[in-house]
Amino acid sequence: MSRLKVICLTLLGMISIALLLPAPAAADPPYTTWALGPQGRLYRTQDAYVPLAEVDLPVSNPEDLFITPDGALYIADTGNGRVIKWQGDELVAEYGKGVLGNPTGLFVTDDGTLYVADAGHNAIFIFDAAGTLLHQFGRPTEPLFGKRAEFLPRKVAVDARRNLYIISEGSVNGVVQLNLAGNFIGYFGANTATMSLKMILQRMFLTEEQLAQFIKNEAASPSNLDLDQRSLLYTVTAGTDPTRSIRKFTIAGKNIFPDAPGSMTFRDIDVSADGLVAAVDANGQIYEYVENGTLLFVFGAPDQGEQRLGTLRSPSAIQRYQDSLYVLDKDKNALVIFGITDFARKVHQGVRLYVEGFYTEAEPYFNEVLTYNGSFLMAYQALADAYFKQGDYRRALTAYHYAEDRKGYSQAFWELRNTILQQSLSPFLLAMVALSIGRSVGVRLERRYRWFDPVRAWWERVRQQKWVDDALFMFRFIKQPADSFYYIKKDLRGSLGFAIAIYVWVIVSRLLGLYLTSFVFSPYATPSEIHAEIEILLPVLLIGLWNAANYLVATIQDGEGRVRDVVIGTAYSLFPLALFALPIALLSNVLSLNEIFVYNFSTSLVWAWTGLMLVIMVMEIHNYSFKETLKSILVTLFTMAMFVLTAYIFYVLFTQLYDFVVSIIQEIGLRVAR
Amino acid sequence: MKRIFYLLLVLGMLSGLTGGPRPVAAAALSQDLPPAYRLVAENTRFALYANPETLALKVLDKQSGYLWHSGLDELAPGDRLNKSWAAFASSGFSIEYLDNKAINRRISISNSNCDLRFTPVAGGFDAEVTFVDFGITLGLQVRLEESGISVQVPAASIRQEIPDFRLGLLYLYPFFGATRGDEVPGYMFIPDGSGTLIQLRATTKAKTMFYGKYYGPDLGMITALPHNPAIRRPYRLTLPVLGMVHGEGQNAYLAVVAQGASYGELHAHPAGIITNFNFLYNAFIYNESYFQATNRAGAGVTVIQPQTNAFDVEVHYRFLSGQEATYTGMARAYQRYLVERGILRRPAAGSPDIGLRLEFLGGDKEKVLFWQRMIPMTTVAQLQQIVTDLGIANVEVVYYGWQPLGASSMPGRSLRLEGQLGNLTELREVAQRLIANGGQFSLYLDPQAAFVDGKGYSSGGDLALSITRAHPQGYNRNMPLYYFNFAALQKRYRSLSADVFSQLGAGLALDGIGAVLYSDFSERQVFNREQTLRAYQQLLAESEGRLAFYTPNDYVFGVMSAYYDIPLGDSGYLFTDQAVPFLQIALAGYVPCYGPALNFSADLEEDLLRHIDYGVYPSYFLSYEVTGKILNTRSDWIYTSSYAQWGPIVAETYARLNRVLAPVKGQEIVAREQLAPGVWATTYANGKQIVVNFNPEPFSSGAFVVNARDAALRDGVLP
Repeated sequence: MSRLKVICLTLLGMISIALLLPAPAAADPPYTTWALGPQGRLYRTQDAYVPLAEVDLPVSNPEDLFITPDGALYIADTGNGRVIKWQGDELVAEYGKGVLGNPTGLFVTDDGTLYVADAGHNAIFIFDAAGTLLHQFGRPTEPLFGKRAEFLPRKVAVDARRNLYIISEGSVNGVVQLNLAGNFIGYFGANTATMSLKMILQRMFLTEEQLAQFIKNEAASPSNLDLDQRSLLYTVTAGTDPTRSIRKFTIAGKNIFPDAPGSMTFRDIDVSADGLVAAVDANGQIYEYVENGTLLFVFGAPDQGEQRLGTLRSPSAIQRYQDSLYVLDKDKNALVIFGITDFARKVHQGVRLYVEGFYTEAEPYFNEVLTYNGSFLMAYQALADAYFKQGDYRRALTAYHYAEDRKGYSQAFWELRNTILQQSLSPFLLAMVALSIGRSVGVRLERRYRWFDPVRAWWERVRQQKWVDDALFMFRFIKQPADSFYYIKKDLRGSLGFAIAIYVWVIVSRLLGLYLTSFVFSPYATPSEIHAEIEILLPVLLIGLWNAANYLVATIQDGEGRVRDVVIGTAYSLFPLALFALPIALLSNVLSLNEIFVYNFSTSLVWAWTGLMLVIMVMEIHNYSFKETLKSILVTLFTMAMFVLTAYIFYVLFTQLYDFVVSIIQEIGLRVAR
Repeated sequence: MKRIFYLLLVLGMLSGLTGGPRPVAAAALSQDLPPAYRLVAENTRFALYANPETLALKVLDKQSGYLWHSGLDELAPGDRLNKSWAAFASSGFSIEYLDNKAINRRISISNSNCDLRFTPVAGGFDAEVTFVDFGITLGLQVRLEESGISVQVPAASIRQEIPDFRLGLLYLYPFFGATRGDEVPGYMFIPDGSGTLIQLRATTKAKTMFYGKYYGPDLGMITALPHNPAIRRPYRLTLPVLGMVHGEGQNAYLAVVAQGASYGELHAHPAGIITNFNFLYNAFIYNESYFQATNRAGAGVTVIQPQTNAFDVEVHYRFLSGQEATYTGMARAYQRYLVERGILRRPAAGSPDIGLRLEFLGGDKEKVLFWQRMIPMTTVAQLQQIVTDLGIANVEVVYYGWQPLGASSMPGRSLRLEGQLGNLTELREVAQRLIANGGQFSLYLDPQAAFVDGKGYSSGGDLALSITRAHPQGYNRNMPLYYFNFAALQKRYRSLSADVFSQLGAGLALDGIGAVLYSDFSERQVFNREQTLRAYQQLLAESEGRLAFYTPNDYVFGVMSAYYDIPLGDSGYLFTDQAVPFLQIALAGYVPCYGPALNFSADLEEDLLRHIDYGVYPSYFLSYEVTGKILNTRSDWIYTSSYAQWGPIVAETYARLNRVLAPVKGQEIVAREQLAPGVWATTYANGKQIVVNFNPEPFSSGAFVVNARDAALRDGVLP
């Protein structure tokens, strides 16, 4: 289409839509608006859209809406079996009267051709701009479609090559693709069925007949769809995990929309030309995303009888047109129009530039957005990317931390570290060489003049102290673990006091480790997220349960260890954690994601070593053979689980008893009062 | 002979009238006086006529010659009123009674078996109505006053003699000023937000009538409102007024509930719902049923409250004509009413500049490891620095989150400042310096709030109880809270406020106590809403310092020195037509009104224009530190506040508003008109007029030009 034509049509559209758009009402919207902030939580923000008007339409239960660039609204008037064209506040044309049954899906291409999905006749009808019926497609006859597959078209979209994408109700194979001649091309964009542990167990233990009784575990079928400028397909699926409800498919059929906060009951999705995705759900909530999956805003309110402007009762379709959102409500038989605010306009301007990679140009917009809302995560992300591109790695680092982007943080950190290393590499090497020379010279001199003799004498005296001896005993486990456990058993070395000290230190170092681990490797973004009570209680509980269970199991299984031996032995077998957990956490502060292997390997090594020490401990302290050791450990674990289960049962019983007593007292109080 | 003839005629007519109006072709709002009405009082401006059989009234406004009807005498063809509604429309009042199964039914004077005693007195009449079948008696007293009439239903006159039937609702003169469809142009006024109008039409977009409880719902009866942070509730009705205009510039009336608003409701019926009439009225609740759960599973019974609500009803109707018959005139009539009663008083002259409200966040606490760590956001020294930096003398500073451990902790009984923010001497110095410079300093306090996980109060003895013996719950500023009973509230408020006034010389910015009204069913002492209202008024009147309130109800207007967070619009109902600044006009010239904090505004330009249009002063919520620091605290609803970001904007918007609003500071609003779509002109008592242009194109009227989305001041013409 020529550029002039586009401009004219857009102008016409703006005028006709402007007639529809009244000035903003003097009222706060009936909903609050939320934006994505730290830790994946939603935070309050200024209103992004305000309700402008509710336009009553002469329709009955309309199920779909389409707005063409010239501002004409096409509405699938399902209850009256027709499609109407609404422009300039009045009904301009009517299509398909007498032909259509219950049109539920609608798409209008640039030349005015209407594609209608009809639930009544289960067919696709194609009309031209004058209203003449061009084609009618029923169930595809190609064998690829499936012998028993049903064709229940509900929604339709048409891409640039005039291929039809059709949502067939209950289709587990995904979206149905037809070409313009009505031939079935294939299925596209299927959802995956989810497997749960319960289902796995069922399949393992139940017979064929019993399994046949269950409802089949099929993939949910998509409920609505839209195509973007590049003809990439977006679908929404109701009844699935809210973070995965929106999917964006590549040509190959792979979903590239990341997990993002969403809703389980999305009814429609719309992707605009500038990459903004809007979806509306059954509760009247509208979600707005950038096409890369970042959630921008959530707002909306259901109509609970208060009759306020901006509430929705049963939204069936949403479409964005020139910065306003048009939502079709099939219960109200009305169109609810939301207009954009200054704040959201600034966000969109920044987002448009960011999505196309113009990070530096987007920076001033996002700075302004941060003035409006200090917790707007998207703004920090965009600013961080801008700083990184400009080479300002320090500021990029802080911004990535706020945006909770570990990858970006790691990259910025790597760059910073690189510069520091390059600056300080030569002095560092020089220092190392000087140190080694100094060391060899010093050792030789010391051997001659014995300067450190008083230090050695002092050390010998200190070593006699019980506590120091116990501490040094820990290092013996590195080379001779089995032997050292024997020493514990024979009361030769190791003390109960020091064992408790080791336990305390393990817990403390674990807690410190959580705080001191670098942001890149830590699962927590800020220290306040760490639940200190749980982090302390859990290890204490585990250690206590292990010791108790192990000793009790050993008494039944002819173990030789006493309580004292078990406690001290377990303490010393935790020495890898005690010695290395904190240093690893400190080390993580100089690593980037490129060296994640180092961090992961050391952590796994420490845990494996601890596990090994525990096995050796059980073997030595109780004097078991290897098979007996394994048996004892398994039974110990089982006993620990039983302890926990018993405690839980007691807890449940006691709360029931408490509830019962309280409600009796309440009832007595009420009846006596009456 | 003649006398007997007339007597028979009158008797015949009276007997005919007891069956309610019969369908007879009649004019819409005739100015004729049916013979059943007798003159009961007269003064220079009005004549009051009453129908002794139905207690219906007619008021003749002698200035304009307009006759106001309190209901319908006859039905016209096409009126969609069945017998019950016809009786409702013609009787002076109707009631709803509750039987012993808590089922309610409505009856009116003219369609039920009544014993009516009508006694004319000087200035009006007294009446006593007994609904014989149900044993319910009410007394009515109507008096003619200088500016209108007053209708009273004293609590002492109410008797419920049959225990099976209880008085539920009283509908007082429901069809007063009712109009048929669109026969009379005009509008109904309801005090939703700043005020809103419902045009009188034949059809409406509303699906049900509008009803709102004055002063918000009673948590003592419903215990808690479901809390959904995703929605904004409609505005609470803070003013117990309603009104109607019959022809703008011709006739109007305003009804003010002087007593009994705490149990009053406003019902508005646009034509097209149920009936083809536009009418609105006050209803008063004497007994309600409620659901009492008897076990934890939720099963229970619906019972009627044990004690009937004891309150007097007093409603004043003010009649306006000519230029006064607009919503501006109604607002000014309401202002006159408040001034007459001594509720509004002229403030001292003060600075010629407008005020600016700056609310500072002191800080809040965050959970770290096991303990709570205080995060200071604005220390006392930083507060002083910001105020000096801005250089605005007439600034109203509110300090929020000053208590130990910040905003989400309970303030104690005595004044203690959080250590990390400063000490009391510093605070006193800052407060005094501010006041000496012409500003105001207040500490934020919500005396009713007992935070759910807060310390310093006893949940057994200090909290209010609802009728189901649960603790009423609510939310304010993102904190879930319980409510104090009056004894505890009084003790805490008295000691803390005495400290604030004497030690600091500062004022208090009170939230909650002027806005939330609940009845308390504690065994120790039952306080119904009316008693609580009076107790609050008495307690606040004792204060020896300056008090400012956040969206208060009218019962604290007497002690209010500033109004914070004034609504700048309505709740956005589909069936209302236009938001009007009724509240602002009623307070203009007497109490400075400050709008909601502009940091949270989505469209700053639009909100500033509305501030100028309504004569409201700007507010900002500020903190010295960046907002990111409190994102893990309960104050995360303050999503933007850093002074570094907002400082220049505060200064600029203040200067802009001051330029336009300073010349009209302290002046009453006398007129308001729309010059063109999107262009509004407000005229003040000193002759100045502010013209606000909301459109994206400039507006010109002769040589006077107002730029797009801007406002200008000119000398207007006093009406």
